[in-house]
Amino acid sequence: MRLTEHTKIRKEKFGTVVFETLTEKIFVVSEHGGDILELVKDGKELSEIVDELSSNYDGEREAIEKDVVEFTDALKASNLIIE
Amino acid sequence: MGVISEGKNLSRLTNPGPDEELRSVLEGKAFEDYKSPLFIAWQLNAECNLGCLHCCEEAGHSMPDEMSKEQALDFCRQIVELDIPYVAISGGEPMLCPHIFDVCEYIRSNDISLKIETNGEFIDDEVARRFADLKMRSVQISLDGATSGAHEQLRLAGDWEKAVEACKRLIGYGVNTEIVFVPTKFNIHEIGDIIDLAYSLGVYGFYTGKMMRIGRAAKNWDILCSTEEEYAKFFETLQAKTKEYEGKMKIYHYPYDVVEELKYRLECPSASLLVIPNGKVKLIGPLPFLCGDLTKSSLQEVWEDYQKAWRHPDVIDFTNKVVADPKLLCESNNWIEI
Repeated sequence: MRLTEHTKIRKEKFGTVVFETLTEKIFVVSEHGGDILELVKDGKELSEIVDELSSNYDGEREAIEKDVVEFTDALKASNLIIE
Repeated sequence: MGVISEGKNLSRLTNPGPDEELRSVLEGKAFEDYKSPLFIAWQLNAECNLGCLHCCEEAGHSMPDEMSKEQALDFCRQIVELDIPYVAISGGEPMLCPHIFDVCEYIRSNDISLKIETNGEFIDDEVARRFADLKMRSVQISLDGATSGAHEQLRLAGDWEKAVEACKRLIGYGVNTEIVFVPTKFNIHEIGDIIDLAYSLGVYGFYTGKMMRIGRAAKNWDILCSTEEEYAKFFETLQAKTKEYEGKMKIYHYPYDVVEELKYRLECPSASLLVIPNGKVKLIGPLPFLCGDLTKSSLQEVWEDYQKAWRHPDVIDFTNKVVADPKLLCESNNWIEI
């Protein structure tokens, strides 16, 4: 996965700002969402993202995967990330 | 794990204004909460080959103290350092700046989104190819008529054919191209035709909204400003065309005027900076206040000064006066350091 061409992300103290500069839309995501986006930015695939988050956060891998899939699906629907 | 996402339109960054939805989303995330601006509007130079009656900057001649190439590139370096995601460059006419491509290349080589706003009169094949290579966010061409008459009446010495050719050339090279149209008494009736033209050219987006009462436009207000009836018809056509081209071409319009904008801004300033050619930073286009000088202070320092300036009693007082008497908008280019 990767960010779409005009999508930029930046960490702030209140979360991560996701700025789709073509449509000039901004999204604010939580710290966890920001961590996922950083991994997407690095070109990681879904399984790699889940692996990384499972090793960094408490919780069942299955539950983490469900959250990641829901989150990345929402980002895809908003044209912020693509496969 | 609790991943939360919220999304709202932030068109106020470049077309700032009141947005109730946005206000609720960003509650608790005031502009002071941002470590640096999210957007820089940079007037690279003041020189312009045209003398547009509705110019909001009174562009024409160069300023004697414009930033040098070295200063401009140092500013670019700081934009990168502060992780600012999006920059829009205008002028004057930015294509007349000798280091325009040095600046564009620096910004794009650091993967910052970049938009250029130009009158389109200097876009030859070579320029279009270079913009294509830079993978710009967009190049925006000012086109103030569906035909040459209105465009050239408003944009003194302007050449409608050149502006249209610039669109065709850029699109031919695969550059994301936009058109901006400012309605005045001279051209407001052409809104439907120009949207049709924009679509036939294959542009990505079409921008319009009420003319801003600042700069030369403020001085020519009485001869340029459309009546309420003309605006009503304009917005009716705009709405119909937006529906007609839904999913085919983006049509953006900003429904608020400068006074509404200022009232909102006083309460909720944006996370953006407006840099003028000499490196000074304006609080916002319609107000005369300067809150920093990038030739003397760092971008980080200017960002902090910008935040403080919005809370300065003189700014609050003057803004309230402008809201009560919009004729004071004529003062927008009589700069006051704050």
